[in-house]
Amino acid sequence: MRIDCPLCGTRDRREFYYSGHATALARPAPDAGAQVWDDYLHNRENPAGVTEDLWHHEFGCGAWLAVRRDTVSHAVLSARLVKGDQL
Amino acid sequence: MAGMRLPIESHVLQAFVTEGLKPCIDHVISFGMGHFYISQSDKGGLVFGGDLDMYASYAARGNLPMVEHVAEAGMTLMPMIGKARMLRSWGGIMDMTPDGSPIIDKTHIEGLYLNAGWCYGGFKAVPASGHCFAHLLATDRPHSAAARFRLDRFRSGRGLMDEEGTGAQHNLH
Repeated sequence: MRIDCPLCGTRDRREFYYSGHATALARPAPDAGAQVWDDYLHNRENPAGVTEDLWHHEFGCGAWLAVRRDTVSHAVLSARLVKGDQL
Repeated sequence: MAGMRLPIESHVLQAFVTEGLKPCIDHVISFGMGHFYISQSDKGGLVFGGDLDMYASYAARGNLPMVEHVAEAGMTLMPMIGKARMLRSWGGIMDMTPDGSPIIDKTHIEGLYLNAGWCYGGFKAVPASGHCFAHLLATDRPHSAAARFRLDRFRSGRGLMDEEGTGAQHNLH
């Protein structure tokens, strides 16, 4: 599996650290309540098909990417940069 | 189908089988630091595996970096297997929970019960978990041995388990 880093080009999966679904970008307000925070931290759509998850290019440029990917075929569809303040 | 989102992310775990060899391993060997295990089948093939590929997947197959990693863990443990030729490999779908422990509980939907999130373990726990699940179905109360496997531990934090001390967060187990 290779990921297209917008800064570095196509790189091997081994250069990236996987950090779970991109739902982590939608951080709730601090006072949103236990149910909302539980949903944000733990519950997942867990799709068989197209998903978007976060990858850190730790052995490359250090950027965080949101990668659209197919969990059934392992095809990597696209990758976009994610700003640090979104995480 | 039931409209529930669960604290589960499906990952891929690969396993491998070599060509048949004369008997050389008469029990299961596991190597905790390398997350590696190996045994020998009745037909002589060495059956072994290691870490998750560590990304969400339903592909039922993994990628080459983890093949290399598992092979290296095997060679670290027992270099004698180095000349065995690998015949086949496959990937299983692992229902991973944030804290690495399963869920045995009833849901908010009448008549719908959960026995899920067994991560990459669970096979040897089938008889005991089935017994606990049957107790829950029959009495609507958790069996004492499974009382900590409730779904609401993620919301309340009460009894939230963390088998490795790495944090109750997706992708850490």
